Amino acid sequence: MAEVTVRNVKKRYGTVQVMHGVSVDIEDGQFVVLVGPSGCGKSTLLRMIAGLEQISEGQISIGGRVVNDVMPKDRDIAMVFQSYALYPHKTVAENMGFALKIKGAPKSEIDAKVQKAASILDLGHLLDRYPKQLSGGQRQRVAMGRAIVRDPAVFLFDEPLSNLDAKLRVAMRVEIKELHQRLGTTIVYVTHDQIEAMTMADKIVVMRDGRVEQIGAPLELYDHPSNTFVAGFIGSPAMNFIKGKVEAPGTFLAEGGARLPLPEVSAEAGRPIVYGIRPEHIDIGEGGVAARVSVLEPTGSETQVFARLGTDSIDAVVKDRLTVQPGTEIPLRIDPRRVHVFDGASGARI
Amino acid sequence: MRSNKVGWLLLTPTLLLLGVFGILPFIYVLFLSFHQWNPFGASPDRIFIWGNNFRRLVFDGEFLLSIWVTLKFAFFAVFSEIVIGYLLAQLFMREFPGRAVFRTIHTLPLIVAPIVVGSVWRLMTTPSIGIIPYYANQLFGIDINIGRDAGTAFMFTVIMDIWHWTPLVTLTLLAALLSLPKEPFEQAQIDGASRAQIFWHITLPMIRPAILATVFIRLMDALRTVDEVWMLTGGGPGAATRYIGLHIWKVVFPKTDYGYGSAISVIVLYLTLVMCWMLYVGLVAPRNKGN
Repeated sequence: MAEVTVRNVKKRYGTVQVMHGVSVDIEDGQFVVLVGPSGCGKSTLLRMIAGLEQISEGQISIGGRVVNDVMPKDRDIAMVFQSYALYPHKTVAENMGFALKIKGAPKSEIDAKVQKAASILDLGHLLDRYPKQLSGGQRQRVAMGRAIVRDPAVFLFDEPLSNLDAKLRVAMRVEIKELHQRLGTTIVYVTHDQIEAMTMADKIVVMRDGRVEQIGAPLELYDHPSNTFVAGFIGSPAMNFIKGKVEAPGTFLAEGGARLPLPEVSAEAGRPIVYGIRPEHIDIGEGGVAARVSVLEPTGSETQVFARLGTDSIDAVVKDRLTVQPGTEIPLRIDPRRVHVFDGASGARI
Repeated sequence: MRSNKVGWLLLTPTLLLLGVFGILPFIYVLFLSFHQWNPFGASPDRIFIWGNNFRRLVFDGEFLLSIWVTLKFAFFAVFSEIVIGYLLAQLFMREFPGRAVFRTIHTLPLIVAPIVVGSVWRLMTTPSIGIIPYYANQLFGIDINIGRDAGTAFMFTVIMDIWHWTPLVTLTLLAALLSLPKEPFEQAQIDGASRAQIFWHITLPMIRPAILATVFIRLMDALRTVDEVWMLTGGGPGAATRYIGLHIWKVVFPKTDYGYGSAISVIVLYLTLVMCWMLYVGLVAPRNKGN
């Protein structure tokens, strides 16, 4: 086990800079998720921690040791790739024991460690199979088993669940989390799926365009997003954003004409702002703002309501089963304490 | 609607061509191999002699020598081509100035007809006028004479074959290397494998099918080499480079011993099949499980 420190890391490909001074502190035993849209640099950062990419500037240390110029094999890490990267010509047991075999470990030790990892991941009956004879989920587990066998200081996961179907993804998510609780090893995990990030992480690093947008615990990011990007990225369905201005203390006037309740913020009247409210923080009831229903999406446990507030769109998730017809007006009630206010120009939280 | 009749109708021209130019000649050669037939010899009649031609082969020193030198030639040529072809393919995987030009130039030997390759190498190796003996003598004081020295003649047939066919191996292996996913190699780096271990444990098994396909193709080609060697050495000195194709040609044409020539052809075909089958059983089948 070890802590990982990323200090002001930059990455350039020729004249193109893709990483602009990223800094992240990962404590020993922590489960950290790097999340962001495609091309935000999360996988590049992971690969730099692994040593598969050189860093152009900055410093990465693992367990207190600067590893900028250390070969991947000497960093005491194990990585699980999105494509699993299993050796197709080796059996499951050979795949899992390869790193130990390369080190020259005795066969009895390799067998024992492979067996132990296989029992943790319930792979015992698959040890003699080849990767092509396994399902996606089994391959995923073999890739994890291969990482466990090495007993590394840090596990690196690069979108390991992206190739699995939705149901299996949920199951594997639980399995990985259980594995972390059991082994207690530091994990750096890359995903573009914010649900994965929210459910698994001790700490989330939200990235965009090679920069860190915000670092924090999942609920901290959910409750106090530092800007519109993080607010929109974390949470599902995504937060509603309505452009407008502060009309008077406690009142927001949308560009589309609707008036909505504002919390106490240090924004003077007339200042352009972005009004953010999560769909699950809106309910239907007396005293609400009138909105015209466009589409209803019942999922059984809840109903997602797409509606129009003047010319703005708004999205609400309610526990009730609604029977209203599209075009009907319903009163949407917003608790001002749940409202997020962002600067109209920069998108930063006010 | 799919109709079997239409399918067969469409296949007929191909089957006819294959039958007339492939299967019938083979059957005819097989038929002749059981006969004694030398139309320009003392007894021009075609006489059925059972398997006597095949029995004669076993005691024919010239034939056995020819088989031996052919196998030697095929081994050295194909082995060298695979090794050099792989190294060149690895080189072309890397970025370096002029890579595209070098890659194009390097494939040019492939488009040269074998008879021309033979002529050019003959010109280059002929003592007193060839560039190779000249510089070998000037720079190293070595006297090269492929018309006199059997070992040198053999070596130059191998070098010529390597020059001509390595680009094919390079292209095949380059295609195989380019098609490999990069993650297993990164995984191997993380697993702590050295370059040699990555080559041995990852690269080689993953491109094994391409290597074996190339070995099959090149082996079959090498076993039937005629024109290049005919131009370069004429099979000499003595019978040092009289590879089996050349030997068959000598038996069938100058000597017009059609029956015996056919028997050699049949046995060579059989040997080729057996060698390929052994290669397949020994190398491909047992390791094919994971791929």
